[in-house]
Amino acid sequence: LLLKESWKLGVNPLASKGSPLHGPRIRVIEKARDLFRETREHTFESKAADEHQKLLRVQHGLEVSTKQAIFVDSSISDTIRTCIVLGKHQDAMKVRTEFKVSEKRWYWLKVFALATINDWETLERF
Amino acid sequence: MSQIPNLDNAPINLTSIRDQSQKELLNILRNVRGRKCVVIDQTLSGPLSLLIQTTLLKENGAELRHLSSEPIQTDCSKIVFLVRCHPSLMEFILSNIQYDISKGLKKDYFIYFVPRRTVACEKVLEKDGIHNMITIGEFPLYLVPLDDDVLSFELDFAYRDVHVDGDTSSLWHIAKALHKLELSFGVIRNFLAKGSASVKVVEILESMQAEDPVDSEDVGIPEINTIILLDRDVDMFTPMCFQLTYEGIIDEILRINSGSVELDASIMGTPQDGKKVKVPLNSSDRLYKEVRDLQFGVVMQVLRERATSMKQDYADISSTQTVSELKDFVKKLNSLPEISRHINLAQHLCAFTSKPSFNGRLDIEQTILEGEAYEICFEHVEEMIHKQEPIISVLRLLVLFSITNAGLPKKNFDYLRRELLHSYGFEHMPTLYNLEKAGLLKKQELKSNWPIITRALKLIADDSSSTNPNDIAHLYSGYAPLSIRLVQHAIRSGWRSIEEVLKLLPGPMKRGGDSTTSDMRNVHANLGRPSDGRRSVALVVFIGGVTSGELSALRFLSSQEGMGHDFIVATTKVVNGNTLLETLLDTTVRN
Repeated sequence: LLLKESWKLGVNPLASKGSPLHGPRIRVIEKARDLFRETREHTFESKAADEHQKLLRVQHGLEVSTKQAIFVDSSISDTIRTCIVLGKHQDAMKVRTEFKVSEKRWYWLKVFALATINDWETLERF
Repeated sequence: MSQIPNLDNAPINLTSIRDQSQKELLNILRNVRGRKCVVIDQTLSGPLSLLIQTTLLKENGAELRHLSSEPIQTDCSKIVFLVRCHPSLMEFILSNIQYDISKGLKKDYFIYFVPRRTVACEKVLEKDGIHNMITIGEFPLYLVPLDDDVLSFELDFAYRDVHVDGDTSSLWHIAKALHKLELSFGVIRNFLAKGSASVKVVEILESMQAEDPVDSEDVGIPEINTIILLDRDVDMFTPMCFQLTYEGIIDEILRINSGSVELDASIMGTPQDGKKVKVPLNSSDRLYKEVRDLQFGVVMQVLRERATSMKQDYADISSTQTVSELKDFVKKLNSLPEISRHINLAQHLCAFTSKPSFNGRLDIEQTILEGEAYEICFEHVEEMIHKQEPIISVLRLLVLFSITNAGLPKKNFDYLRRELLHSYGFEHMPTLYNLEKAGLLKKQELKSNWPIITRALKLIADDSSSTNPNDIAHLYSGYAPLSIRLVQHAIRSGWRSIEEVLKLLPGPMKRGGDSTTSDMRNVHANLGRPSDGRRSVALVVFIGGVTSGELSALRFLSSQEGMGHDFIVATTKVVNGNTLLETLLDTTVRN
């Protein structure tokens, strides 16, 4: 169990530091997820690691499609906001369903994002 | 005005402590002949500035530099590193020396560890035979006087070290510092300790006393009667609450570091673009001494009155006849810079305190402390996360929420942690882990003792007495800081009257000295009896940091009638909720 604990501390900083190269970083996080899975009390951590690697994949996809390296290393909420600001509402929606973002948080994000780009019309409509 | 506080009003002779350290530092410099480049690690610049003026260093032929990974550019052939013992700093030194070697430069290197050398650090230096090129020494700086009544060990990470990383070297440091105090001021006869770290410090101190006993004939009558040690872990509630005293608010908003605050010059009314000015804050500033411990609202009134009376004096001057009247007037003018300094500061702070969000925050804090409206508090925290407010203020409120409830129900706990990670990024996972390990954010297992504690110690004033200026609660608008209540009870009864409540707080309790042998009344007499007609002195040690709000409350206590005690506080660092929690953020996020 002690080993587990040191992993918990060791793996995550390692994973979040990482290089911008996706391959190894995602693999480290997956490894962490599997290690967390081995014990029962770390279900939360394993779920988080799982979401983290999913997020990195999605962000990578977004960077390729928008040709802008602004997604990786931002949080889920930030990713959604960036999508809305860029006018990519469908992508935002996709991220939302992928990570089961709650109604409440979704509205806050949308309002903030639309307000930043002064898109009052869309704001009015929704 | 100098940043080095004038210590003339201290209840014990603190100047001697400072002079001693100053002498030791100058000796180190004098032993290295000729011109030298003194390279200090960033964390030492604060404490050193409280110790010695930079001009004095320069007079001794020293050129000052900060240590970083960048190579140092200097033409001095002698380099003195003044560093804390930390492996990463050793790496910096190594890379510096290696850089010089690669350039073919021959220099003399001296490393002075503050406060002492450790094997771990010397091991790092053994690489590549560099060890042989270095002269190693120690600069035993264990504590720095911050003010007349505050000593600091300047251990920024003590709380994290002890409660998250399990590194107890800071406790040894504290015990050593206390032992040094005893060597100059006499053995402290009574002690009260609460919390695991406190008890440990007492144990280490006892073994030091056995090894190196204080010769009572050398030091005369002990000047400090009682020592009270509190582990920050015992009261994490207070630092999470926003401070409302003048000094507290300055610290919360602008950050006081080692007794001074750094500001944009424009705030102080000198329009120099982007330039920073350092404003020292200690009791050498007479106006500051008067207002630092008052509630911010009251301070505004005081400043207004001062300014108006100044104006009145100005108007009267035309009718002044005698020279002595003129002299009085000029004397008053001397305090003008102080007044204008604090008016500028206060005005700047007002911009923050007048925001509606500021009052909203105080309201929710109050609601959490009262602990009756769980749902409202939960939703407030949730909304803060959704709005992506600064993570440190979210965590601060969340920690307060968690510790008053003895943790959160598993469902809420996991939900909020997930929302935090989603909003602020997965890199905060280690931070959450640190908080959990320190017991600040956890799953609820038992029913919370908080309501019992607040009732037993009367921490929350009811409406009628919330403005009662006779109790410490007025400084926090109706909340009496737990830590200070404990000090109050320690002085009053040696904690005998509140033993049941103490059991509800984390960590063991230990008591010693006269109070173990005699009955309660005697203890009281002992604690309260002023030796040779003076007020007795109590040393309160906060392991893991103290807030300025608590310092104010202590000063208020000792000013109360019938107290008969002067307090000196020794702390690992003066902190506030934000700075305390920041030490728990993980290094990769801390940058």
